Amino acid sequence: MAKTETTYPISRATKKGVVGHLAVAATVLILMMAFGIIMLFNQGGLITISPDLFYSIMTVHGIGMVGMASLGGAAIMWYFLCKYVPLNPKVLMTNLVLSVIGIAMILIAAFVFKFSDAWTFLYPLPSVSAKQHGMAGAMFFLNGVLFVGVGFLIMYLEIGRKIAKQYGGLMNGLGWDMLFGKSDKHYGPPAAVVASTMVVICNSTAILAGATVIIMSIINILNPSIVFDALLAKHLTYAFGHIFANATIYMAVVGVYEILAKYADRPWKANKVFLIAWNFSTLFTLMIYTHHLLMDFAVPKWMLLIGQIFSYANGLPVMVVTAYGALMIVYRSGLRWDMASGLMFLAMFGWVGGAVPAIIDATIVVNHVMHNTKWVPGHFHIYMGLGVTIMIIAFMYYYNKVEGNRRDHSWDRISAAFYTVFFLGLTGSFLYAGKISAPRRWAVHLPEWMLSDIVGGISACFVLAATISFTLRFFANVKYTRTANTTEEMVHDTTSLMKKSS
Amino acid sequence: MYQQLAWILTVVLVFALAVVFLTIARKTARRVDYQPIQEKGYRIRKYWFISLVSVMVIATFFSLRDLPYHDATAAAATGAKVVNVEGYQFYWKLSQEEFYVGEPVQFNVTSMDVNHGFGLYDENMQLLAQTQAMPGYTNVVDFTFTKPGKYQILCLEYCSVGHHVMVKEIVVKEKGGASDGQN
Ligand code: HEM
Ligand SMILES: [Cu+2]
Ligand SMILES: [Cu+2]
Repeated sequence: MAKTETTYPISRATKKGVVGHLAVAATVLILMMAFGIIMLFNQGGLITISPDLFYSIMTVHGIGMVGMASLGGAAIMWYFLCKYVPLNPKVLMTNLVLSVIGIAMILIAAFVFKFSDAWTFLYPLPSVSAKQHGMAGAMFFLNGVLFVGVGFLIMYLEIGRKIAKQYGGLMNGLGWDMLFGKSDKHYGPPAAVVASTMVVICNSTAILAGATVIIMSIINILNPSIVFDALLAKHLTYAFGHIFANATIYMAVVGVYEILAKYADRPWKANKVFLIAWNFSTLFTLMIYTHHLLMDFAVPKWMLLIGQIFSYANGLPVMVVTAYGALMIVYRSGLRWDMASGLMFLAMFGWVGGAVPAIIDATIVVNHVMHNTKWVPGHFHIYMGLGVTIMIIAFMYYYNKVEGNRRDHSWDRISAAFYTVFFLGLTGSFLYAGKISAPRRWAVHLPEWMLSDIVGGISACFVLAATISFTLRFFANVKYTRTANTTEEMVHDTTSLMKKSS
Repeated sequence: MYQQLAWILTVVLVFALAVVFLTIARKTARRVDYQPIQEKGYRIRKYWFISLVSVMVIATFFSLRDLPYHDATAAAATGAKVVNVEGYQFYWKLSQEEFYVGEPVQFNVTSMDVNHGFGLYDENMQLLAQTQAMPGYTNVVDFTFTKPGKYQILCLEYCSVGHHVMVKEIVVKEKGGASDGQN
């Protein structure tokens, strides 16, 4: 057996940063779910809001949920990673502060300046809208996203740098020394390090692509005579959007590795197959964003074939290694199911379950009749709502348990059951709407699509209720944790941090 | 057809997954040694991997035989009727709005402002074909109508607040006859 890694204690400042991330994520989650319900009831004809407001809400829901998942994922990744790699907690706080500023700017853009160009802000839409309604909305939004991106980029630089230092090169975080025979160890670095390395590589690339297209849009708004190629912009947009949204689960899955291994009291080690899987995940995640361009016939055919074939292949690491590993590690382990372990396990089901309709839709002939129908939000709501979001909630329970000795209540298990069943109802209603060709992103629906909207909206009300319960329980308990940080302390801390940096 | 297939496959596979996860979740109570579980698990995994890859290879093989990608010069060879489609915020402009059953049509799709999506729907509001309408590019959809009736073009790429009003009706008639196909 390889000797166990040295581990570092988790500092108070780190815990503050982690709780701060979770608190913002949970608050945003609840607000965005409420927005989701408003959208569905409007589409279902139960209420009527103006299309302008609908699309502003849609924009905020999209970016808000992706941001929420990123913040929650970052909290999980950081909390576990800093046991193996000493990380500077100020960087975590900086990310939180920049993200909160970014979120505020995005809300101002959408609700004060009526920005509604969707979270994917496909060029040249923001500049065309800016010409029609003034540039303030687009400027607030694009710069807000940039703030969030910069916060994360700084975080990834810190993580990447420290992993490289500890393991003698960033790629050794993915076990290259072991895979390519320069090390005689049987196992690579801890799973948390492997996953974090993958995320650093993929998401830094994503953020750079996103920053490029945001700056292109801003230039075009400020000086409309400078124009860019719409297809190039779309490539950059989806290189950003696809990878950034995907990276949320690769950050959060660190919690699955750590928590299930601990509960099952079995090691979840990075053996050769594990490392190979994560190396391929890294590569595929960078390549397969072209599945968003399958209906752009101007894209070279080979790129579109990559989009299909490697989207299939990208299912393999999770289905054969990560989810399979989760099944193996709990099997006859004697582990106790509670909120933390149970939800982490459920989240693996959500991940694979979401991959099924995603892979089907990445088939070009299927995409031809399902792209940009409700099928698309159908599949990513499974993987985000029953995957990433569940991992974040599981971690909230784990955190209070480990740091604050809190126990689950039977009420928690009821909430979890409601969340699961009704989230399946919500996503089922989306997929069904996709099957009957209802387009996505339509403020107003035809009568034949409305039943699915109403079913989805009602299901979502139960999901929201369960989420509020999870969140209240988290906030009520987190006060008693050893971090004992009140909101005042946090506000104080973040403002002093801002003062220092200005 | 593909929609139906996608739906059934998804429902069946997700259900099967749920069964697997639930089964394993219920088999955690008694603790046994991990070593033999790992050995057996890795052996099963090999077959699981091979079967997944085989399914993917077969699906790839069959699904790549009928790609919707056609190039703009094909019309000359096939004698298809060429229709120019332009997307604007928030309407469609077509060089022709009446078509005949059995006649191959080539839609040359582009946009004059932001990105739009050209989605061709039949009378039952089922999506038959689509492509993106992107400024500066022309994407080609080849289509031969097999039934007369009223068809609609819906916008399938978000293009700002009037996205959902971008609907255009086109008519397909029986070849040679004056009938509108309704009776
Ligand atoms: C109560 C739960 C939720 C409800 C009711 C809900 C509802 C909706 C609705 C109605 C849409 C627009 C669908 C359309 O295109 O017509 C949407 C889009 C979206 N949702 Fe959710 N959602 C929920 C949870 C989530 C979660 C948990 C996430 C991610 C963590 C998420 C991420 C997104 C994203 C990224 C979009 C795309 C926005 C766009 O098309 O621009 N949603 N959601
Ligand atoms: Cu994608
Ligand atoms: Cu549109």
